Amino acid sequence: MNGTTEILSARRICKSHPDPNTGYDVEALHEVSVTVNHHEFVSVIGPSGCGKSTLLRIVAGLDQPSSGEINVAGRRVTRPGADRGMVFQEYALFPWKTTQANVEFGLLLKGIKKDERAKIARRFIELVGLKGSEQKYPHHLSGGMRQRAAVARALANNPKILLMDEPFAAVDAMTRQRLQEELTAISAVERTTVLFVTHAIEEAVFLSDRVVVLAGRPGRVITDMKIELDRPRRWDQLARDPRFNGYCETLTGLLHGKDAGAEAVT
Amino acid sequence: MTALASARRWRTTSWLAWIVKEIVPFAVGVLIWQALSSLNVWPSVLFPSPAQVFVTFVTDIQSGVLLKSLGVSLISLGWGFLVGAAIALPLGYLMGLNSASRDFFDPLVNLLQAIPGLAWIPFAILWFGLGQGAVTFIIVMSVFFPVLYNLLTGIRVIQPVLVEASQTLGAGRAAIIMHVIFPATLPNLMTGIRLGIAFGFRSLVGGEMIASTDGIGYQIFNAQQYFQSARIVVGMLSIGIVWLMLDRLILRPIERRTTMRWGLMREGIENT
Repeated sequence: MNGTTEILSARRICKSHPDPNTGYDVEALHEVSVTVNHHEFVSVIGPSGCGKSTLLRIVAGLDQPSSGEINVAGRRVTRPGADRGMVFQEYALFPWKTTQANVEFGLLLKGIKKDERAKIARRFIELVGLKGSEQKYPHHLSGGMRQRAAVARALANNPKILLMDEPFAAVDAMTRQRLQEELTAISAVERTTVLFVTHAIEEAVFLSDRVVVLAGRPGRVITDMKIELDRPRRWDQLARDPRFNGYCETLTGLLHGKDAGAEAVT
Repeated sequence: MTALASARRWRTTSWLAWIVKEIVPFAVGVLIWQALSSLNVWPSVLFPSPAQVFVTFVTDIQSGVLLKSLGVSLISLGWGFLVGAAIALPLGYLMGLNSASRDFFDPLVNLLQAIPGLAWIPFAILWFGLGQGAVTFIIVMSVFFPVLYNLLTGIRVIQPVLVEASQTLGAGRAAIIMHVIFPATLPNLMTGIRLGIAFGFRSLVGGEMIASTDGIGYQIFNAQQYFQSARIVVGMLSIGIVWLMLDRLILRPIERRTTMRWGLMREGIENT
């Protein structure tokens, strides 16, 4: 183990919960281990119900594992904390706060002074391309803009790792591609460490340095694959890149293989 | 046209629109009322005309009787509301955020909430004597439950993801309550406050009729004894006007600045 660059280590995570119909315990995750190094972008991909979101929630401290251990920057994780920023699929912006106040919220909790908060928030709002929308409330923003604001809110808090739970699943296809390109550009500038959960193979390949494939029932790691594509990445170039398509085909094969468990999706 | 002139014109027309919107429904109501009383089907003691009511209204304003009894009533209502809400709010947040206190208080509160405020009149008189104290107590018992139950509903419908988002930003319990729970419960709380005041008015009038010798409810009751039908209507309409002013001058501006501005509430759903 390389202690200097490893930001996240999740070791042998198991999670069982009672099935709502039968009452018997169901194993959602079986000895799942994932590491993410500094400034690395890792995606976790798998069929729906494979426990990938549960894994992310356990890393965030929002759910407790049945067994196993999570360390972030060398510290054991047991509950939610500002060292792990999270971006949710449903944005989870506070409707009663403006874009500016949403982005400032984590800084406010840290006790940072008003002027300093405003300055940091403005920088991240500009970084995600929301300049001019500082004083708008979330219900006046489009889906794509809301997710940009949520990313700015998480980044402004300067977390050790950014956790993203299918953040682009609810926006339209064109906006999704633009947001993916922006995210790779931002994580290059900010040297962000990201753990990203998705069920979309192309999204995982496009964004990631490494893709971890989970199989379902119980969720377990079947592959941990390096993605060696040049950065910065752009859709108009990668879509025609044979290596990109090669990765996608390999992952599709894995997810549809008999190892992958039920309900494989593309 | 200069920008200033166009702004001024816009302001004038929107004022006109507002007056039309607020006045026309009442004008139509009064016209129908006048038309019905002009038919002379019923004697005026059973169906007083708008003109009679207006004359009585002016007389009672000039004599000071109306404003004095309204004042007495509003003080009872104000205290009753404040005390009822001051108990309901902390208890509601406690029950909403702590399952042990929810388990303890829920059966008790459920038992008591079915008992109408007016059913407390006998004890109110025994404990406080005839007068404002008894009336205020009855109002407290009427305001408490709608405020509590709407607040509890408000807490139950909070999206868990908002609490989780605040936790991942570093929020502890106090910050979650301040920045998520309080604002998120506001739409339901406003409904609770409206219902609380509305229930309070019902108990106010009923309570004053039975347990008091003063206030607008007593005036209505008293006028009936002397067959002063117009005075009854004056009392009834005064209550309506006070409520309308509360709504337009306090409750709606609060909602426009908070829940409606945040997109948690709209005027209605059109174009469906």
